[in-house]
Amino acid sequence: MAGFLVRRLLALVPLVFGITAITFALLVLAPGDPVLFLIPPEQRGSADIAQFRHELGMDRPIPVQYISMMADLFTGRLRSFGDRRPTTRQVAEALPTTLILTATSLALTGALAMPIAFISAVRPYSAVDHAATLFSLLGISLPTFWFGLLLIFFLTEQLGLLPASGIRPTGATGYSPLVIWRFLIMPTIVQALGILPVLVRYARSSLLDALSQDYVQVARSKGLAERTVLLKHVARNSLLPVLTIMALLLPFLLSGSVIVESIFALPGLGRLAVNAALSRDYPTVLTTTTIAGMLVVVSNLLADLGYLYLDPRIRHG
Amino acid sequence: MSTAAAPAVPARSAGAGLRRGPWRRFVRNPRAIAGAAIMLFFLLVAAGGRWLAPFPPSAPHVLDILHPPGGRYLLGTDDLGRDILSRVLVASRVSLAIGVLSMLVSILAGVLVGTLAGFLGGSVDGVLMRVTDVVLAIPVFFLTVAFLALFGPSVGRLIWIIGLTAWPPTARLVRVEVLALRARDFVTAVRATGASNTRIIVRHLLPNVVPVIVISATLRVGLAILTEAGLSFLGLGVQPPQPSWGNIIADGREYLGVAWWVSFFPGLCVFLAVMGFNLVGDGLRDAFDPRLQI
Repeated sequence: MAGFLVRRLLALVPLVFGITAITFALLVLAPGDPVLFLIPPEQRGSADIAQFRHELGMDRPIPVQYISMMADLFTGRLRSFGDRRPTTRQVAEALPTTLILTATSLALTGALAMPIAFISAVRPYSAVDHAATLFSLLGISLPTFWFGLLLIFFLTEQLGLLPASGIRPTGATGYSPLVIWRFLIMPTIVQALGILPVLVRYARSSLLDALSQDYVQVARSKGLAERTVLLKHVARNSLLPVLTIMALLLPFLLSGSVIVESIFALPGLGRLAVNAALSRDYPTVLTTTTIAGMLVVVSNLLADLGYLYLDPRIRHG
Repeated sequence: MSTAAAPAVPARSAGAGLRRGPWRRFVRNPRAIAGAAIMLFFLLVAAGGRWLAPFPPSAPHVLDILHPPGGRYLLGTDDLGRDILSRVLVASRVSLAIGVLSMLVSILAGVLVGTLAGFLGGSVDGVLMRVTDVVLAIPVFFLTVAFLALFGPSVGRLIWIIGLTAWPPTARLVRVEVLALRARDFVTAVRATGASNTRIIVRHLLPNVVPVIVISATLRVGLAILTEAGLSFLGLGVQPPQPSWGNIIADGREYLGVAWWVSFFPGLCVFLAVMGFNLVGDGLRDAFDPRLQI
């Protein structure tokens, strides 16, 4: 079991290195000099520029810059080009919004996907199953940002039911569920809709797979009630891969957060990343992509631990 | 020359099978046919949209700003008085072109990686699949946004970045197929005739992987169109004044309360076009092999 964990942890190293190295390469290769963005044109004496470049450490060899930037990032010394605050603080402020939205989206997706998948798997090729397939197709084809705008049009502009921007009313602070729930409804629906078809399709095939197993035949021939067979034998055994796929959906949700947070003006990681990229704030760009990559890494690890906890064959094998 | 005659058999039999089984199943699937009709419609519009448009796409009709759908303007006008129908028609070309071309990039990359990994096996397979896993696990949209913002968005860069971040699923599918084919007797037979690896791959393996490639490609186009629309919506895709479905949706965002039609119609086009490609992709999968997990 320890060996399993160590192997999994080691496998995550290339992931973190991959995403940070690619981002850093983008920053180095990008046209235009970031130093020039930081100095107003009227103050651009060539001596100043060289001085400033030296202060930023941008006159050093590129591998050295990479290593020192990563070291600064993880120790909180890397500062945003924009407001000169540590990038870790910016991320710490943005992260709760994204994590809360991710959690509510996963919860909603799971709550919807399981019953849909269950009904369509138990009665394959029935009307419900066909409806679920059609619904999945519509969901996969739907541009979620456009769907978000439709929601804003109906629920905010026409009916005035829900707020369309921000995470909390002006003046409020914190993330109390009582304060922020109305702000989360539309973004959660949009995010959930993006991954729901994937999860339904996956859960359905996982359930069908479990239904065809010998132990289900055995359970039935023992004379167990169909209900008991389905809930105790089928559902339990097909839950495992579904839990894993939910963790693997995190990259999709994070990618989705870039767009969803910008539609609903949510102050999260995705919006921080877009704004940083648009204003060429190199340290913040590097930090947001690194943190996004690490979130994926952590969720993969959690999925592995969940597997370990739920499946004794891995624990002892 | 003795290698030329014997080996073509599996490829040819795959072609004959296509005419009998899968093709008939595809044609008899109403959803697949509906998808094909939608797909064809949008491809025709993309080809001829420029001539179908009643107005030049950027012509401002200053007296008819935010004109509701109807009258001279079938789908209404935007905040500058530009005709939405004309803009949507003209935009279809760039949106579909980016969808199809970035699909080509991702399919080429995916087939190359998948074939090499599956055929060569061993450490090559290990390294390539590791890279595939990494790309699959990275929230690539963050990188895409950073790339387009730092390098500046252009149609060419959109095609490359969308294509080069979307190949891993194709690579995995192709690898599995190639792995299975590699162990088949006909490959051993071809190898015994002294055929080179390149020849085995190009003449004997790839023709048998064509169904998987075509299905994957069709579904990729839909995803690529969605990605392009999302990026253009963020202002990092196709740049104004050139209209694209995504940037017209973005144009209408400010006027959602007073002029829903500006964002609604281009979004509907994205939805329908993507659905067309997905229906065809699903139909092809069901026709060839419903068990494929694509």
